[in-house]
Amino acid sequence: MLTASIVILGAGALLLPLLQVVKRGQQQLAGYILAAILAVSFLLIGLFTMSPTAVPWADGLLSPDQLGGVFALVMLGVTLAVTVASFDFIKTSSNPVYYSLLGFTALGMVLLAYSDDLLMLFVAWELMSLPTYALAGFDKKARSNEAAVKYAIIGAMSSAILLYAISLTYGLTGSTQIPMIVSYFAIPAHQTALAGVAVLLFIAGFGFKMSIVPFHMWIPDAYEGAPSTVSTLLASATKKAGFVAAIRVLLVLATVYALTKSPIFSLANVFAALALVTMTVGNISALTQKSMTRLLAYSSIAQAGYILIGFVPFAANPTSAAAALGMTGAILHVINHAILKGAAFLAAGLVFLQLKRTDLGAYNGLARRMPITAITLTLSFLGLAGVPPLNGFWSKLLLFLSVANGPFWWLAVAGIVNSAFSLGYYGWVIKRMYADDPDSPGRVHEPFWFVVVFAVLVGLIIGIGLFPQQAISFASGAANSIIHG
Amino acid sequence: MNSLADFVVVSAMLLGIGIYGLVTKRNALRLLFAVEILINAANLNFVAFEQYAPFAPASTVVSNAVGQTFVLFSIALAAAEAAVILAIIVVAYRLHQDVDVSELNTMEG
Repeated sequence: MLTASIVILGAGALLLPLLQVVKRGQQQLAGYILAAILAVSFLLIGLFTMSPTAVPWADGLLSPDQLGGVFALVMLGVTLAVTVASFDFIKTSSNPVYYSLLGFTALGMVLLAYSDDLLMLFVAWELMSLPTYALAGFDKKARSNEAAVKYAIIGAMSSAILLYAISLTYGLTGSTQIPMIVSYFAIPAHQTALAGVAVLLFIAGFGFKMSIVPFHMWIPDAYEGAPSTVSTLLASATKKAGFVAAIRVLLVLATVYALTKSPIFSLANVFAALALVTMTVGNISALTQKSMTRLLAYSSIAQAGYILIGFVPFAANPTSAAAALGMTGAILHVINHAILKGAAFLAAGLVFLQLKRTDLGAYNGLARRMPITAITLTLSFLGLAGVPPLNGFWSKLLLFLSVANGPFWWLAVAGIVNSAFSLGYYGWVIKRMYADDPDSPGRVHEPFWFVVVFAVLVGLIIGIGLFPQQAISFASGAANSIIHG
Repeated sequence: MNSLADFVVVSAMLLGIGIYGLVTKRNALRLLFAVEILINAANLNFVAFEQYAPFAPASTVVSNAVGQTFVLFSIALAAAEAAVILAIIVVAYRLHQDVDVSELNTMEG
């Protein structure tokens, strides 16, 4: 089933540009075909994940475990939502290549989610990244191009840093297979410095995609300049791909750092410091933004900080109960953040499409002009802030609980303070939408496909919020598949 | 006689040059060169480790052409990456008649 879904994704992405050759102006048809392909692969991978077999696959390059399944489903779901929203968003451009690039990105992300070998991981990483560079610059207007130049150069730099980290790991261990690296890891004492460098380079390489401070400077420009559907893809899908790669390699990192045994620069301390800085900088910068996409970009950075909290207990002691809890929380927050941020970015994209504005003033009285968009945005903001009973509450609860009873209790405190703080700027936008008067009255048309996507995403936000048990056990299965082999 | 240390030192120097270029240069093409230097630093590492490294027990299990294989993949990917980025830079040149990234600052904040 996994093979079938990868094959149809690849074949679909390869063949879609041919539509242009057959008959011009087929971009709507290309969109429908890609949506169908994504839906079928989503179902196939969903069925596969229900009964996972954790045997190495494709000569140990891919490991079809539940962790890969969860992330593949998240990324395919986001890409599907983006594709469906693009039916209305990309109408002006007559090029099926847009959908082909989306297909390639989806394929790269699925392969990355399952990859169990650093070679596969790097190839999938590039397969995921290269189409998004082109997508970010798809408008060929000044802003879109500016976003593409910054994103592509920073992205290429992060790939190069990642490659260097992989080369050092290979040099230290003689293998690129992740389970092999973990089980045979034995570094002589004089090479621990090199291992430390490799770990830091890994964190930097993944950090650019995961939008961790201090590797975040490209995020707001890229998200603001790129077409809104592409920003949704970057924030909700490719960023999560950075996290799954980090979780897969984290096992290696934890082993390496256990060997270096430096008390201050232990991996847990590094992750804790990064989490604290990332969420604080993200939230404080979001507060002063005047543009909706930049606000969402900074809030996305802050959310990356919350997810990093889940890595801390794992790095401190991979076998403890707190590690499983933290990893479950991190994976659940990845799922929730993909849903919430996807909804928020698509809502902002629709406002930009209809009103041609991204500044916060455009949101005054939005509830009267675009009620469905406004309620979607409100619910996703409340979910991002972690208000019960929405889905963001449960994952944050798990994340904070996992560090509450250990030496990193201050991270839980910082997380709660940050959540309360973030409610400030979210609440401000919600107040604008419901209490303020609009600049110009009158209902604005909300296209059919956007409403469909909003309905599904809002359903998930409330559904996971009210019945979290299923989602938590799903995430905890994924966490166990990485912790216990 | 070449030793592993020579290669690793050269590779580390290339890494340093690449990062220096990324930090100081503002021309998009020069930034691309710097990234390519970084990639080649890693490639040099791979082949040197493949040839000279006294590997840990893992090497007895793995058939060891991994380093060279990785370099072939990495060269192909770097070429694809350069193609995409050059295309984006060409569009930037058409829009601004310039490829200086410090001129690209319409979105600040």
